[in-house]
Amino acid sequence: MTAPAGPLLEVDGVSVRFGALVAVNRVSLRVGRREIVAIIGPNGAGKTTLLNAVSGFYHPYEGTIAFEGRDRTHLAPPDVAALGIARTFQNVALFKGMSVLDNIMTGRLLKMSGSFLLEALYWGPARRQELEHRAFVERIIDFLEIQAIRKTPAGRLPYGLQKRVELARALAAEPKLLLLDEPMAGMNVEEKEDMCRFILDVNQEFGTTIALIEHDMGVVMDISDRVVVLDYGRKIGDGPPAEVRRDQAVLDAYLGVAHA
Amino acid sequence: MIYREAGQFKTTYAADQAVFSIVQDRVAVAAAVVGAFVVPPLVASEYWLQAVLIPFLVYALAAIGLNLLTGYAGQLSLGTGGFMAVGAYSAFKLATAFPHLNVLVVFVLSGLVAAGVGLVFGIPSLRIKGFYLAVATLASQFFLVWLFNKVAWFTNYASSGTITAPDRTLFGVVITGPNSAPSARYLVALGLVAVFAVIAKNLVRGRIGRSWMAIRDRDIAAEIIGVRPLRTKLLAFGISSFYCGVAGAGLVFLYLGSAETLAFDISISFLVLFMVIIGGLGSILGSFLGAAFIVLMPIVLANAPHALGLRLPVALQKQIELMVFGGLIIFFLIVEPRGLARLWQITKEKLRLWPFPH
Repeated sequence: MTAPAGPLLEVDGVSVRFGALVAVNRVSLRVGRREIVAIIGPNGAGKTTLLNAVSGFYHPYEGTIAFEGRDRTHLAPPDVAALGIARTFQNVALFKGMSVLDNIMTGRLLKMSGSFLLEALYWGPARRQELEHRAFVERIIDFLEIQAIRKTPAGRLPYGLQKRVELARALAAEPKLLLLDEPMAGMNVEEKEDMCRFILDVNQEFGTTIALIEHDMGVVMDISDRVVVLDYGRKIGDGPPAEVRRDQAVLDAYLGVAHA
Repeated sequence: MIYREAGQFKTTYAADQAVFSIVQDRVAVAAAVVGAFVVPPLVASEYWLQAVLIPFLVYALAAIGLNLLTGYAGQLSLGTGGFMAVGAYSAFKLATAFPHLNVLVVFVLSGLVAAGVGLVFGIPSLRIKGFYLAVATLASQFFLVWLFNKVAWFTNYASSGTITAPDRTLFGVVITGPNSAPSARYLVALGLVAVFAVIAKNLVRGRIGRSWMAIRDRDIAAEIIGVRPLRTKLLAFGISSFYCGVAGAGLVFLYLGSAETLAFDISISFLVLFMVIIGGLGSILGSFLGAAFIVLMPIVLANAPHALGLRLPVALQKQIELMVFGGLIIFFLIVEPRGLARLWQITKEKLRLWPFPH
C-alpha cells in the first residue's frame, strides 16, 4: 500500500462542553490504519459525544481532530463524510420509509455525480451510473447476507437486521474510517456473533479502519486491537485488551472504589 | 390468474430497476396512456372535458409538485396556491409581452419563475420543520396573493383585476384563450402532465429522490452520509414550485380561461394538500388518484340524488354534498392512512395470488 505512515485519525486534547457540563475532557487518542479500536466506558462517560465530535455534529471547545494528517476540527457532517468517514448510530437511524436497497444506495450518494437534466430523463450516463452503483450495492448485500430483504421497507425489519442494514449503508460509502456506535446493543448471542464476524471481515477484506463503542466486554476483548477507556469524559486507559483488563484505574471505574 | 409474474425472470439490474417491471403493468399503462390521448377527444362531451378532465389534469400536476416537496422531501407546505399564482401571472405577463413566444415555452418559463420564488420561500426550511414550516409557507401564500392584487402591473392594469389567457396556437391549432376547443386544451394538458409525471418519477427513483427521502426519514443520518440539508431542501422547493407554477399557468390558460387572485387563495393550497394526503404521500400515482378523488367526488355527489330519483331542495343538497365529502375523506384516511396509492398496491399484491388466499 502507498498510504502514508502515521495514524488515520488523531484526536488531540479535545473537550466538548454543553454549558457547564464537560462531556469530553481533553481526550487524546489515535486510531492507526487498519486498526480496530474499541472505545469503552461506563454510561455517560462521553463515548458517543466523542464520536459525534469526530463526525462533525459537535464542534470541540478545545483541541484538534486530524484525519489523514490534516486538521478537520470544524467541518460539518457532510464534509466529514466526504473525507471518507462513515458511521452507524446507537439507536438505529435508517430511512424507514425506503427499501433496504434504497437505503444502501443512499450510502453511495457521495460516489455519484449528478446531472440534473440527465437524471430527469433517466437517460445515458445517469442510467449507467444507477446501474453501476446498483452492482456495487449488490456486492455489499451479498457480503452481509441480506439478499432476501433487499426490497423490504427498512422500517418493517426486526432490530437485528436493521443494525445490519445500517452497517451496509455505511459500507456503501467505501469509508476509510468506520465509526460504529454500539453495533451489538440489544442483540442476542447469535446476532452478536454474526455482527462480530462482519466487523472482522470488513476490516480484513476492505482494509477499513474501525472505531467502535461497545458495552459487551467479551466482544470488545475478542475483536479489538486496542481498547480506549473513558470515564467522566476523561481517558483513563489505552492499550491492548489484555493490558486494559488488568489496569487498576479501569477496574475502579467499572467496579467502583471501596471507600474506607 | 391474469395478473401474475410467474415465469418473468429479471436477469439484469436494469430490468429490476424498471418502473414497471412486470409485463402486465407495462401493457396496462401503455394502453391507458394511448387511451387517454385518443379516446376522450373523440368521445367525451364538452362538459366532461371542461369540468372534469382538464381540471383533473391541472390539479394532478399541482399535486405531483406538492408531493415531491411534502411526500418525498418531507417539507410540509401550505404555499401551493401562491406558487401556482406566480406561475399563472408570469405566464400571463410573458404571453402578453412576447406574443410570438411559443405557449409551451411560456409554460416552462413561468414554471422557472415560480421555482425561483419557491427557492426564496424555501430558505426558512433549514431552521424550521413540520407544522412550523407549514405556517411559515403560509406567508408565501398570503404575501404572493396580496402582491398580485396590489400591483396592477401584473394584470396589465386591467380595471377588473383579472387576467385572461390570450389566444395562442400550437401547430396551427388554437390551444389557449376564448377561441380554443376544449379537446385541444385537454390534449395540451395531458401532454404536459404526461411529460412532467415521467420526469418526476425519474427524479424520485434516482439520486435526488433518495436524498430527499433521506432528509425526510432521518435528517441526521442523511447528513452523515453526505446529504447537504439546505441544498437538498431548496432543490425540493424549487422543483416543487416549478410544477406548481406550470399547474398555475395551466389553471388559467387551459382550464379557467381567465382568473382573479381569488382562484389562488388558501383554499386551493389545502385542496392540493388533501389530494396529496388522500392519494398517498410519496407516490406519483397517488397524486393522480388524489386529484381524481377530489375533482370527481363532488361531481358524483352532486349528481347522485338525481340519479337515485331523490328530489331535494338545492340548499339541502349542497349541505349533504359537503357532509358526505368530508365523511368520505375521513373514511378513507381511517381505512388506509397511507392513501389510495397504498390501497392500490395492496390490491395488486392480492391480485398476484388470486384466487388463492396465500
